[in-house]
Amino acid sequence: MMATDAPLLRGVALSKTYGAFAALNDADFSVRAGEVRALIGSNGAGKSTLIKILTGAIAPTSGSVEIGGQPAPLGDPLGMIRRGVACIYQHSNLAPAMSVLDNIYLGRQPTRRFGFVDTRRQRKEATALLDRHGIAIDLDSPAGSLPTVKQKEVEILKALALDARLILMDEPTGWLASADVARLHDTIRALKSRGVGIVYISHVLDEIFAVCDTVTIMRDGKVVAESAVPDIDRARVVHLMVGEKLARDASDAALQKRHPRGTGEVRLSARALTKRGVFSDISFDLHAGEIFCLTGLIGAKRTELVRTVFGSDRFDSGSLEIDGKPTAPRSPVAGIGRGIGFVPEDRHHEGLMLDMTVTENLAMATLDRFRRGPVLDRGHMVRAGRRAIEELSVRPPDGNKVVRRLSGGNQQKVLVGKWLARRPRILILDEPTVGVDVGAKAEIYAILRRERELGAAILVVSSDLEEVMTVADRIGVMVSGRLVAVHDAGAVSMADIVHAMGGGTA
Amino acid sequence: MAAAAVSAALARHAAPNALSIAMAVIIVAITLLEPAFMSADNLVGIVRQVAIIGIMATCMTFVIMTGGIDLSVGPVLALAGLVSFYCLQADFPLVVVIAAGLSVGFIVGLMNGLTIAFLGLPPIIVTLAMLSIVRGTALIVGGPEQHLIRNEPAYSFIGTGNLLGLPFAVYIFAAIAVLMILVQRHTPLGLLVAAIGNNERAAWLSGHRVRLTKTAVYAISGTGAALAGIILSSQVHTALATYGPFGTELDVIAAVVLGGTSIMGGNGSVARTLLGVFFLGILNNGMNILNVPIDIQLIAKGAIIVVALAVAARRG
Repeated sequence: MMATDAPLLRGVALSKTYGAFAALNDADFSVRAGEVRALIGSNGAGKSTLIKILTGAIAPTSGSVEIGGQPAPLGDPLGMIRRGVACIYQHSNLAPAMSVLDNIYLGRQPTRRFGFVDTRRQRKEATALLDRHGIAIDLDSPAGSLPTVKQKEVEILKALALDARLILMDEPTGWLASADVARLHDTIRALKSRGVGIVYISHVLDEIFAVCDTVTIMRDGKVVAESAVPDIDRARVVHLMVGEKLARDASDAALQKRHPRGTGEVRLSARALTKRGVFSDISFDLHAGEIFCLTGLIGAKRTELVRTVFGSDRFDSGSLEIDGKPTAPRSPVAGIGRGIGFVPEDRHHEGLMLDMTVTENLAMATLDRFRRGPVLDRGHMVRAGRRAIEELSVRPPDGNKVVRRLSGGNQQKVLVGKWLARRPRILILDEPTVGVDVGAKAEIYAILRRERELGAAILVVSSDLEEVMTVADRIGVMVSGRLVAVHDAGAVSMADIVHAMGGGTA
Repeated sequence: MAAAAVSAALARHAAPNALSIAMAVIIVAITLLEPAFMSADNLVGIVRQVAIIGIMATCMTFVIMTGGIDLSVGPVLALAGLVSFYCLQADFPLVVVIAAGLSVGFIVGLMNGLTIAFLGLPPIIVTLAMLSIVRGTALIVGGPEQHLIRNEPAYSFIGTGNLLGLPFAVYIFAAIAVLMILVQRHTPLGLLVAAIGNNERAAWLSGHRVRLTKTAVYAISGTGAALAGIILSSQVHTALATYGPFGTELDVIAAVVLGGTSIMGGNGSVARTLLGVFFLGILNNGMNILNVPIDIQLIAKGAIIVVALAVAARRG
């Protein structure tokens, strides 16, 4: 009986440092056969570093990994696959135009003489695999034509065909509807009963309580707790995830002056906004002179909501009023025309022209102002850029610098500054401080507060609870496409917000 | 060690100017082998020879900067010449003749642009299809035979006339080049073209009319090709449906890319495209002067383009 109790995989004293920064600090981690272990922690807690070590994508600075009691090679992806470790990433890694069967055996088809693919053997093995794990799927459908949950199953099959004994799943339900989540969980239970070990990474606490046996909680690069799921409750998990310091900071922030409902003037009013299959029945008011934060877990559809307000996406039904006038922006041009500015979440893909200069990026939302007849007034543009660089304290203060060469924080300041130049009456920011250092974060908060004093209505989407508790005047919580609660920030505790985020009623 | 250091230093200092350096080397080499290369007549001849490819290349630079490509320029050149010829036959005034010729390119470019921008189809496929459509149209319009342009002194002046000792076509090329450089550097359009090539989605989210801009750059490219077609038909006193044969578009694209405009879009420069144009022009002229056989010329040209690009790529 001791043999079955020995862990399938064991990481001992794993550390990974980048310069002076410890991404992972002396972490122990183990999974047994037939165990579903949740791995949770906020962004930057060290989860991805740990996963990368286990898949062999990176080698730890110190520590060791054992598989089945034998030391495993470090930083060797192929070696890990051969030892039965597979990883299913958040985004699909399938070849969409190829059949399910071809995807399962992609790159290592069984061959006959002369290197021809042995399709018959391939099909026989795949069918046996499906039977063994009780998964029903058409082997000949193109993978891309399957619903997302089926694609996840194909990825799982692909892992199983490699004789995976341990499957790491990174946010496997991020793109799934709730019925499909249950289906995926059934598949996970089936795998578990056949002795496959699973590491389940998710932000969604409900899922952890639904499908996991044990939980490992990480914070600031360390494993802070391990527990059997039945022995721990939601509040304790959240407390361990965010830590004492954050709870304390948040209460400091609570002492800051709040301006719920700002000047009292309703600038933007949403009623029963619905986008089918994405979010539904969302109503809220946004006032001049307030910062309204929308928070929630990944997959709560906050980004999708604010995009429809800006006009880069469309809602299906419901109504939107700006300054009391009904509106439905059908493009960014229209949204901007109604006085909205939008700082997207992904500054590299949606926000900045990385290979253009700071000055050019700062002018990007206000080019019309630098137009003199058909001519672009570069002098005017450079002067405006210089003022913005000073106001935002972009470092280095050089307008000719290519944006790619700035730090994340300074890039973000440029992105925010580009919109501030328009003096938007409504400013929407999606995750405004992702990947930004602490100093730049504080500067961005100061900029937001200043805009609020100037009378802008500010809508912030943020998953960072510390940020929400720091800057919000009011807080809205979204769960699975619904706005489930709206609170004045001064009158609510972080625990209440977390409780609401997980789907509990406040 | 030393080799690596030299190589790094070379990459740092030489690579940004690789094309200028290569050009200088080639000029010196050709001059040593054949001093006649440096004669005023030959130098003017080079500018006259590159005018046609040069106009097309300066006008296609924006397309490539947005991350697109225009393969349809060859047959546009032929069709514009034919349309001008028929307008001359009909005794229309010169202004109308030229406007009709240019509008051929403008319309084809507009169709390219609208299809690419509004239907979201890949530029390489759309303009390849257009290449076929326009060539077919040119064959219907012009038939297989050469159409001689006789007794049209005003029209012939465009391609063959001289002004203050320089061919008139050179003035047109210079005017287009200056105009496009100014558009790139000193208009919102120029900045927007770079922005779209750099990050199309961000440009759209910043409130720019990205699809209209993309349509415009193809219209510019088409119009440039039509202008080249008018100049060519005037130069050779002939309009023919098969002018601008396969390979014309490749010369144009090679000139733009040699000039350092990224084929993936984003950064680029009309002024540097001119450098690419002259590089190819000097190479062609030099090999002709040195009596290099045409087969060897083609091989040498291809090899030199690849080497020049490989050196330039070390910049990144």
